Amino acid sequence: MVNVKNYDVVTPGELLSDDGRGGPGTYLEGTQNVFSKYFGMVQVSDRGVNVTPLTGVYKPHEGDDIIGKVIEVSSKYWVVDIDAPYYTRLDARDINFRAELDELNRYLDIGDLIYARVFRIYANKAADLSMRGTKYAKLPSNMIAKIDPMKLPRLIGKEGAMINLIKNETHCEIVIGQNGVIWVDGEEENKAIALSAIKLVEEEYHNPDLQEKVKELFEHVRRKV
Amino acid sequence: MYEERFDKRKFDELRPMEAETGIIPNANGSARFKIGNTEAYAAVYGPQEVKPKHLEKVDRAIIMCRYDMMPFSVPDRAKPGFDRRDMEISEVITNSLNRAVILEEMPRSMIDVRVYVSQADAGTRCASLTAAAMACADAGLPMRDLVAAVAAGKIGDSICLDLTKEEEDFHEGGATDVPIGFLPSKNEIVLLQLDGKVSREDLKKIIEIGKIGAAKIYELQKAALKRRFSNESQS
Repeated sequence: MVNVKNYDVVTPGELLSDDGRGGPGTYLEGTQNVFSKYFGMVQVSDRGVNVTPLTGVYKPHEGDDIIGKVIEVSSKYWVVDIDAPYYTRLDARDINFRAELDELNRYLDIGDLIYARVFRIYANKAADLSMRGTKYAKLPSNMIAKIDPMKLPRLIGKEGAMINLIKNETHCEIVIGQNGVIWVDGEEENKAIALSAIKLVEEEYHNPDLQEKVKELFEHVRRKV
Repeated sequence: MYEERFDKRKFDELRPMEAETGIIPNANGSARFKIGNTEAYAAVYGPQEVKPKHLEKVDRAIIMCRYDMMPFSVPDRAKPGFDRRDMEISEVITNSLNRAVILEEMPRSMIDVRVYVSQADAGTRCASLTAAAMACADAGLPMRDLVAAVAAGKIGDSICLDLTKEEEDFHEGGATDVPIGFLPSKNEIVLLQLDGKVSREDLKKIIEIGKIGAAKIYELQKAALKRRFSNESQS
């Protein structure tokens, strides 16, 4: 019997069902009892019960596009901090051009921001990055915002509606990493407006008419100027 | 003889409680738990890279806990810093959380737990453990269950739940203090200490009464966590 329904918020250790069919985010005790493993939201399907965590740090998945910061330069690779539990490695072979080994700080130095892809995750949860492809590059140092990665879908909106609204209103260039790091480029005032809009989204992310709120913010700013 | 409690509570009644989560913006998870005049704040950072590196375990995460009493938390100023009592309580909280958090899911990482007691009126290790468990859940860590901890004991001839400082210092007939931590839905004991003297039968009764108290605390913990997302579940 399933004790929960879709969109229920559950805490760790809650008994979800006793039919022994649990998906991700659950664990089995004995052979039948399915318990929740996370503080999260329930999804019930034919194949069993899943729990998606509502809070927590970013967990890398293969294929994610992220923004990271170089924190160490070795002779053959860079170590990159992507706000995940572990540092990741970007090998010198995984960039678009042939890098001169032992002189990697000529291309990327400590403190540089990069837009890259998580392309491999090992069994021990270590991840490798790759910058092969036209959309990946080093980002000029600029304003950075960080939001909870669980709230990113709200910032992007339906088919990018929300982020396009912010981009159009502020004439800023915005790059979103799936790890919750957001890079904003533009004129000084516009950047500040874009950042306050992002902050508003983070604070009010459970509001159903969030887009109206953001529009109001821009309206308010325009009247002041 | 101890016939009526100093604060007129029933013998199996808890002090009034408050709980809330997500109070420290810079932490990954945080919680506050208040029971009577005892109040504990917990913050969880991580999972993150292990520092110092030699403590790293290849197959599981490690929990680093630090319990601290603020200088103004007790009538006589508590000397700031990490003393032997803090060390002991940090250790028992770590051991309890090790049972609750599924460490094997986060190999090679470290979870930093900080607990600060801003007001102390007995039962600080139980309040700290309760707050720390809520903060861990709030930080999105995989857990088997929350931990609900409560102190029970025997004062004179009566078995009591949730002792205050006044009761702990009761002299006629002696006072025994037993902090107990439970995984409520697993019916598992993760913390059991005993300060004083008690017979085997009485200890069983004390654990029974503690279990009832812990169940109430568990309900409060769940409600405090769910309150943060109550808007979302309605829509």
